[in-house]
Amino acid sequence: MNGWILILGILVPLLGACLLPLLGKIHEKLRDITAFLLIVAAFVCAAFALFGVFSKTPVSIRFALPLGLSFGFKGDALSVFMALTATFVSAIIVLYSFGYMKHYKNQNEYYMMVCLFVGAMMGLVYSTNLIAIYTFWEISSLCCWRLIGFYREDITVQKANKAFLVTVLGALIMLVGFMGIYGQTGTFELSAMQGVHIPAWTVVMILFGILSKSATFPLHNWLPDAGVAPSPVTSLLHAAVLVKIGVFAYTRLFVLTFDIHASFGSAVPTIAAVSALISAGVAFRQNDIKRVVAYSTISQLAFILLGLSCQNEIGLVGGLLYILAHSVAKGGLFLCAGIVEHALHTKDIRKMGGLAKTMPVTAIAFMLCAFSVMGIPPFSGFFAKYLVIEGILASDNVVLGILFIVGAVMTIMYLMRLFVKVFLGPPAEDAPPVKEGTPVMVISVLILGLASLLLGMIMFLPSQLATMVGGVL
Amino acid sequence: MNVLKYAAETFLFVPFAAIVINNVFSKKMMEKCFHLLTGAVALSQIFATLFCIYSMDARGMSRFEFFMLEELYENDREFFCLTPVTLIFLLCIGIVAFVSVMVAKKTIDAKKTSYVNLLMTLIIGMNGMVMVNDFFSLYVFLDVVGLSSFVLIAMFRSRKSLEGSIKYIIISELATIFILTGLAFLFMQTGSLDYMDLNSSLLQNSSEPQTMLLSLSLILILSGFFVKAGAVPFHSWLPDAHQSADTSISILLSGIVIKIAGIYGIYVLTDLFSGVKAIQTALAAIGILSIVAGALLALCQSHFKRMIAYSSVSQMGYILLALSTGTTLGVVAAVAHVFSHALFKSTLFVNAAAIHEQAGTLEMDEMGGLEHRMPVTSFSSVIAFLSTAGIPPLTGFWSKLLIILALWTAGNPVLAGVALCASIFTSAYFLRMQKKVFFGKTPEHLASVREVSGSIKIIEIILTAITTLIGILFPLVLIFLQSRGIL
Repeated sequence: MNGWILILGILVPLLGACLLPLLGKIHEKLRDITAFLLIVAAFVCAAFALFGVFSKTPVSIRFALPLGLSFGFKGDALSVFMALTATFVSAIIVLYSFGYMKHYKNQNEYYMMVCLFVGAMMGLVYSTNLIAIYTFWEISSLCCWRLIGFYREDITVQKANKAFLVTVLGALIMLVGFMGIYGQTGTFELSAMQGVHIPAWTVVMILFGILSKSATFPLHNWLPDAGVAPSPVTSLLHAAVLVKIGVFAYTRLFVLTFDIHASFGSAVPTIAAVSALISAGVAFRQNDIKRVVAYSTISQLAFILLGLSCQNEIGLVGGLLYILAHSVAKGGLFLCAGIVEHALHTKDIRKMGGLAKTMPVTAIAFMLCAFSVMGIPPFSGFFAKYLVIEGILASDNVVLGILFIVGAVMTIMYLMRLFVKVFLGPPAEDAPPVKEGTPVMVISVLILGLASLLLGMIMFLPSQLATMVGGVL
Repeated sequence: MNVLKYAAETFLFVPFAAIVINNVFSKKMMEKCFHLLTGAVALSQIFATLFCIYSMDARGMSRFEFFMLEELYENDREFFCLTPVTLIFLLCIGIVAFVSVMVAKKTIDAKKTSYVNLLMTLIIGMNGMVMVNDFFSLYVFLDVVGLSSFVLIAMFRSRKSLEGSIKYIIISELATIFILTGLAFLFMQTGSLDYMDLNSSLLQNSSEPQTMLLSLSLILILSGFFVKAGAVPFHSWLPDAHQSADTSISILLSGIVIKIAGIYGIYVLTDLFSGVKAIQTALAAIGILSIVAGALLALCQSHFKRMIAYSSVSQMGYILLALSTGTTLGVVAAVAHVFSHALFKSTLFVNAAAIHEQAGTLEMDEMGGLEHRMPVTSFSSVIAFLSTAGIPPLTGFWSKLLIILALWTAGNPVLAGVALCASIFTSAYFLRMQKKVFFGKTPEHLASVREVSGSIKIIEIILTAITTLIGILFPLVLIFLQSRGIL
C-alpha cells in the first residue's frame, strides 16, 4: 500500500462529483446512490490509511515542483482522524438528503457540490503543502457558496454571497500569511518547516483565515445567516465539514508544525472563550430553530479551539475528540431540525410544541444528540468536554476553566429550552397536523443519535488515534 | 530551419492572403463564408504557434530571427524575431481571434467583408508588433492596430459606438504621438532604435547618470503605452470603447488588443531598460492603482460589458505589477496572466454576446433568473469569474500566484499583500453580477429566453474546458519550465 490510496480518496469524490449531473440526466436514483457510494469510497480509503497510521508508517506521496511548490499527501494520525469523521457524517447526510431533497430543483448541482465538498475536505486534510491547503480551502468556499444559495431566492443568494466573501477574504489574508512564511523559508512544504519559528504577523494573518472559516467571534456572523440553506446543507457545512476546516488548520499548522510566540497560547484561548460565551448567550434569544443550533455551533467550535490551543496533550486530544463528537451530534441536531421544518413548514419555535407525540423517533434522536452536545455522560460529548476542561486546568488557566464551565452550563440550558419548546408542552394553536419524516430521514438521524451514544461507550478507540496525534507534543 | 521559417512567415502571410482572397472573389460569396476564412486564419495562427513552440524547444533555441521573403542586405541584422514570450502572445492572438470569429458568425449581420478585412489588418498589426526587432517598426505596427480597431468599433455606426470610437481614436492617437516623440528623443540619444543597439548602448551608459532627454523620452513612451493598456488613470477611453463596440469586437479589444498594444510595449521597455529603477517604480504604482480603482469601478457598473471592461483595467494592473519586478519569474508570471486573462476575459465577453443575443439587453438590472434558461452560459460565466478572482485550481489562480510569488521574492511584500487582498473586490463584483443576471426572479419580458445555440455555445464550452484543464494541469507547465532552466 502506498500514497496512491490517498490520491484515490481525494479524486474519487472530486472527479465523481463531475459525473453526477450526467448520471442525474439518466436516472435520479442512480445519481443519488452514486453520490453516497463516492463518499463511502472516500471513507474506505481513509480506513485503509488507518493501517499505515497504526503500523507507524503513515502512507504518503510527494510530487516535486519548482519554486518550493512541491506538494504531497500524507495520511498521518490527524488527517486520517479528520477524514474518517468527515466522511462518516457526510455519508449519513447524503443518505438523509435522499428523503429531504426529493422535491427540489437543482438536485444535480446539490449532489455534485456535496461530493466536491467532501473531496476538497479530503484533499485539505491529506495535503502537506500550504498552497495545496489553500487550493482545497477555496474549493470548499465555492461549494459552500452554491450550496447556501441553493433556493436561489434573493435573500438566500445574499447570504451565500456573504458567506463566500467572508471566507474568501479570510483565505486571501491567510495566503498573505503563507507568503510571509514562504519569504522566510523559501518553500510551501510543511515537512520542511517542522518547528520553524514564524513571525507573529503571519500567525495573526493565518488566524484570520482560520477564524473566518470556523466562524469564531468576531468573524462568526455568516454562519447563522447561512441557515437559509436546506437542512442537509446546514448540517454538512455547520457540523460535519466546513467549520471543522478551520480548527483542523489550526491543529495542523500551529500545534503540529510551527513554533509560534508564547503569547498566542493565551490570546487564542481568550478569543475562543469570548466567542463561546457570546454565542451561547445569543442562542438563548433566538426563536428560529436552526439559528439556535447554529449559534450553539459557534459556541462549541470555540470550545474545540480552546482545547486545541491550550498547548498540552490532554487538551489537544480533548479538542480532537470534541471534533468527532460534535460532528456527529450537531449533524444530527440539524437534520432533526430539518425534519421538523419539513413537517411544519416553519422554523419558528414559538409555533411548535408537543411534537414528541407526533414525531417520536425524531424526538428521541434529537434528545440523544442534544445530550451529547450538552456533555451528559456516557455520551461521547461528555468525554470530549471532560478532556478539554482538564487540558485547560493543566495549563494553569483557572479563569478560562471557569468560563468553560459557565459555557457548558449555558449549553445545557439553551438546548433544554429548545427541546422543551419544540417537542414537549402543548401543541401550538392552529398548528397543522404533522407526521413523522420519511423513513430514510428518520433512520439517518437515529443513526447519528445512536452513534453519539455508542461512540461514548467505545471512546477508547477514537481516543487511541487522537493520542497518537497528541503524542508528538 | 526552413520549416520553422515557413511557419514563422505564415504569421504575416496568411492574414495578408486572406485579405486578397476576401477582395478578389465576389462579395456575395464572401459574405456567406466569411467565418470560414477568418476562422481558418485564426486556426492556422494557433497551429503555427504551437509548431514553432515545439520545434524551437526541440532545437533548444531561445530566439529565432528571420526575414520575410529574401535577405535584403548582407548585414546579419534580421527584421523579425521569435522568442518564447513572443510565441505566447501570438498564441493568445490566435485564440482570441478564433473566439471573436465564432461570436461574429452570430452577432454580425452586415458589412461582413469589411469585418474580414479589418480583422486581418488587426491581426497583421498585432503579429508584426510582437515579432519586430526594432522600436520604430513596433510603432508602425502599433498604429496599424490602433487604426483598424478604431474602424472596427465605429463600423456599425450606432450613435454610441461612434462616441466610443471617437474617444478611443483621440486618446490613443495622443498616445502614439507620445510614443513617437519619445522614440525620436531616444533616437537622438542612441542613433538607433534596434533593440540590440539600444541594449548595448544603454549598457555602456548604465553607470552614467541618466540624461534629461533620456528620462523625458522614457516618460513619454511609458505613458503612451499606459494609455494603450488602459491603466488607471489613463483608462477613461476603455470602458466606453469596449462597451459600445459589437461584442465580437469587444472580445478582441479586451482580450488581446490592450495587451499587445500596451502590455507588450511595456514588456519591451522593461526588458531594454531593466537597470532603470524609476520605470519599475512607475509600473508598480500604476499597477496597484489600476487593480484597486478598476475593481472598485467595476463594482458600481450596471452594464454587463462595462463591468467586464473595468475588470480588464484591474487585471492589467496585475500584469503591470508582475512586470515591475524585472525578474525572470516576473516575466513568466506576466505572460501567464496575459494568457489566462485572454481565456477568461474572452469567456466573459462570449457570455455577454450570448445574453445579448438571447435576452436583447445587457443592463444587469433588467435581467434575472437566467440560470435555468441558459445553463451553459451560466456555468461558463461562473468558471470564468472564479478564474478571474484567482480561485484555485483554475488558470487565473496560478498566474496570480506566480505574480504574488514574483513580487514577494523581488522584495515587495506589501504590494503583494495589497494585490492579493484586492482580489476580494473581484469576487465581490462578480458575485453581484451572478446574483443580478442568473439568480432571482425572471422578469416577464425574459420568460421565453432559451440557451444560445450554435457557435457561441460551442466556444463557451471549449473555453471553459481549456480554463479548467490548464488550471488543473498547471503543475506540469511549472515542471516544463523548470526542466528548461527558466524557473
